[in-house]
Amino acid sequence: MSSSDLNRVAVVSAAQTQLCESWNGRQHVDLIFSAVSDALRGSGLDIADVDVVIDCGSDVLDGRSISNCGFLGAMGAHCKEESRVEEDGLWGAAYAMNKIAAGGAKVALVVAYSKPSESSVAAYYSSIAEPFYQRPVGLDHLSAAGLMANQYLAATGLDEDALVDVAAHDWERAAANEWVNTDGAPGKADVAASDLVAEPLRAFEVSRPVDGAVAVVLAAEDVARRCAQVPVWLTGAGSAMDSHMLAERKPGELEACAAAARSAYRRAGISEPGRFGIAEVSAGSAAAELMTLEALDLAVQGKSTLLYDASSPIAVNPSGGAIPADPIMATGLVRLSEAALQLAGQVDRGTSGVGSAVVHGAGGLGMQNHCVFTLEV
Amino acid sequence: MRNVAIVGAGQTHHARRRTDVTQAGLAREAAMRALEDADLTIDDIDSIVVCTGPVLFAAVNQPEKWLADALGARLKPVVRVTSGGGTGLAGALSGLNQVAGGAAERVLVVAYDKLSEGALQYSISTLYDPFWGREFAVGIMGFSAAYWRARMEPLGHTEEAAAMVSVKNRRNAIRNPYAHFKKEVTVEDVLESRPLCAPIKLLDVPPISDGACAVVLASEGAAKSSPNPAWIRGMAYYCEAENATSRSMLQSEPLTLAAQKAYKQASITNPRRQADVVEVQEPYTCFELSYYEGLGLCREGGAAELLASGATEMDGEIPVNPSGGCMGANPIGAAALIRLAEVAQQVRERCGDYQIPGAKVGIAQAGGGWANLRGVAVVSSNRS
Amino acid sequence: MAAGLNTGIDEAPVFETTLTMPYTLTTGRAAGTYLAELANQRIVGSRSSSSGKVVVPPSDYGDDGEPPELVVVPATGTVTAWTRTSAGTLAMIRLDGADTDLVHRIVGDHFGLANGCRVAAVWASDAETTNALAGFELTDAPVEEAEVVPLETDTEPIAELPYQLDLDYQHSYGLYYGRMFDELATQRRIVGTKCPSCQSVLIPARGNCDVCFVPTAQVVDVADTGTLLGFSVINMEFVGQKRKPPYIYAEINLDGSATRLIHNVGGFDIDRTEELLSIGMKVRAVWKEGTSARGTLADIDYFEPIGDQS
Repeated sequence: MSSSDLNRVAVVSAAQTQLCESWNGRQHVDLIFSAVSDALRGSGLDIADVDVVIDCGSDVLDGRSISNCGFLGAMGAHCKEESRVEEDGLWGAAYAMNKIAAGGAKVALVVAYSKPSESSVAAYYSSIAEPFYQRPVGLDHLSAAGLMANQYLAATGLDEDALVDVAAHDWERAAANEWVNTDGAPGKADVAASDLVAEPLRAFEVSRPVDGAVAVVLAAEDVARRCAQVPVWLTGAGSAMDSHMLAERKPGELEACAAAARSAYRRAGISEPGRFGIAEVSAGSAAAELMTLEALDLAVQGKSTLLYDASSPIAVNPSGGAIPADPIMATGLVRLSEAALQLAGQVDRGTSGVGSAVVHGAGGLGMQNHCVFTLEV
Repeated sequence: MRNVAIVGAGQTHHARRRTDVTQAGLAREAAMRALEDADLTIDDIDSIVVCTGPVLFAAVNQPEKWLADALGARLKPVVRVTSGGGTGLAGALSGLNQVAGGAAERVLVVAYDKLSEGALQYSISTLYDPFWGREFAVGIMGFSAAYWRARMEPLGHTEEAAAMVSVKNRRNAIRNPYAHFKKEVTVEDVLESRPLCAPIKLLDVPPISDGACAVVLASEGAAKSSPNPAWIRGMAYYCEAENATSRSMLQSEPLTLAAQKAYKQASITNPRRQADVVEVQEPYTCFELSYYEGLGLCREGGAAELLASGATEMDGEIPVNPSGGCMGANPIGAAALIRLAEVAQQVRERCGDYQIPGAKVGIAQAGGGWANLRGVAVVSSNRS
Repeated sequence: MAAGLNTGIDEAPVFETTLTMPYTLTTGRAAGTYLAELANQRIVGSRSSSSGKVVVPPSDYGDDGEPPELVVVPATGTVTAWTRTSAGTLAMIRLDGADTDLVHRIVGDHFGLANGCRVAAVWASDAETTNALAGFELTDAPVEEAEVVPLETDTEPIAELPYQLDLDYQHSYGLYYGRMFDELATQRRIVGTKCPSCQSVLIPARGNCDVCFVPTAQVVDVADTGTLLGFSVINMEFVGQKRKPPYIYAEINLDGSATRLIHNVGGFDIDRTEELLSIGMKVRAVWKEGTSARGTLADIDYFEPIGDQS
């Protein structure tokens, strides 16, 4: 089917708050208003120009039913079309992209936020598990990550050093990222010496929940060309959900991530994913990050460690990725924001001159759900 | 914008409590019925949208993750869209945008709630800001009653008029095989029923239900194989900040905006004349009166008169809630999608005993939250 | 919010809420049977008639869409993956004869636990509960002839599982609520923030105007008198209710503000509500004696009608 009637969609601007362990002196609405205001300022557009607001957050993390209800004013959604996607913000971007492509909006604002510091992250994740089999035995995000890491190491023959290298790489990038609040960065020795939290995973190898908000402005081609110095085109998007039962997923792989990537690449007309210059991925652990890169078809199973070498043509998580900073429900949209700002040359993560990026977000327990975007300038 | 049609719809037989299936089983049942109605299998579906009420209703966070296997959705795109009671319509709108945006040819939208499982009022009361007002909350009933009180005098939304909504919808529900609350009442019964949050009384309130509904959306190309698609001619969903300065207790601005947009998309300039059937989501009887006005079926303050004239009865000029509305069954997370499914089935002439003869254009209204999330859809048996 | 803004205000007070929500969860055929049969020291799986695939724990759906047969699987198996967290050790266990893994606890001394180890079920002494399967321990038992047999039982499935969700929150006050509740506690004063664009005063105090979408930094006083916009006599009780009925739920526009305050009206016999209250009438706050440590709306006991001042 011809897609000539569909609009091209670009990221016009993006902004986030600092991501830190506790935004104790601020409420959700403050973080949201800050990110949205900054994103609009960066676009040259006014809130009045926004046709639709898509927001992403979690009732359980927020402690409120229909929590978006209380935050609409801070999002700038008052008297606008609005929809809440109760999944990671990258899915909100997919909705907004569809709406603009369809001709249903010219400008969309995508907002994602969370404050995991206000509640128990373990309770949040375990509440996602169905209540009869997995939840009663105590499956949560850490044990799920540990089981998946165990499977990955067994399938690939890699050892814990591979995990240490990934984590240290991400933490080093995050420490240099002005938007991530860190107390320095653990080096390889620090990572290797950190406590086992979900054997074989150590404390610095699992994603650290942080508070924060992010906002991305998407626009149709004509508006994007007017407003953005460098429009960042969303050339493809795809998502896929794996089985809810952790034990029924393919061990050592992220099959749903691969399906999402194939769908995004097909839509973008991409046959050589290795040509991306940037990969911003949302992994729950160092092992999951390696699995994600492999599922994105950037390396064969067990070989994604090579992507972290200095000679690798792809920069992995120049922002640091999710391990040092995981604002649950917003992480994927932060990846999109980061990749777009890098491609547009608005932030320097050592990736200037790069022309394309692949962006990944995940949701659920043990990363059951996956969303992939392809970006191009 | 590309044309999108509903090519199949299904509902469970809603019940006070379904003891035989889990939440996943309930959703699957409606999904299978919708697929059967569309003469499709899950393999034909490109993407799934799940809609539920707030997750605190039923103890499973992000339930679409649990449902994926029961729906046969493994390795397909699955996402959940929520909007309080309006989740079903909000989900359908996101599905529509998937099709219109070229991301999918066929989308299955499935909405459900198993209200029997949790403490409904407790969980919905957390809608309120924990710092500010939650201690006074009675779910959405407290503020709904307070706002109704404010509308009584200026708009004539009297207890008698609301009671007539209850009488009409409960009578209509008797012919709806999916409704479970099938008991006729009189205006006197309603007025004498126990006040819960005055002026809302027991018989102004819908039942608590377990139920699910599903709808198959298709692109124009995919709809070619369907004998009688219901074309979605317009759909919009708006919000207002719940404590904004401009919030009116008399009329709902998001409803007005959503209706304006949906009508414009559908070339509706006189809904009362151009529509053959309407389904609205009335969490309490008083809301239906408001919707008559917000949807432009009558002037502001004219709802009681419209209702008393019989115009919104099954055999009236503009039947509203031939399904019985929420009074017949109210699985909150499904209720909004049920309204859309009902008007779609009306214009596809699949409503059997409660078919409105010759229905060609239908309007569906839904919403939720702090009565500040509102959507409207227009469906038609004609594509344009 | 530029980088470097002071974000580590660890000592800022928080507002704690606890949600303790009761449920009765419908288990369905497969889980209901699985949980009931644990009391009989049996592990139940499901077997699809078309493929013969044995799934543990059991599913309500077979490969062909038909309800699968329920079967009993051996209580011994092999570890295919494991992890240890502060909460204990979990493993994926391929029970003998099953085609999928069961995620469960590893209990007992499991030094030397590795993929490939043999494990056997450990049943809890109190076999009545759904926790009758305590977990799995390392065993020397070799792989047996896998015997998966159809379930034959007189035990009724557990159709409904009582459940409770306990969620605790520590909500940040933020600058605006912090200031607002401070004023309530120390000055018995209600404050809001003023929008520089539309000049409206917003309560609760907040950082931006919803309508104009501009920051609202100016804090202004709001009177403790106002107009009754809507009210309802609450006679309904429900689990988790914070305030025992009857009481009068009210939404009030405080003089000087442009938004709604949620509170209650009182100070008279509630049976006289119809007679004494009307939409649009003036009301005034009646403050509680003394103040709480951190102000809340409860510092105002209720609003009472003010004579004839419309």
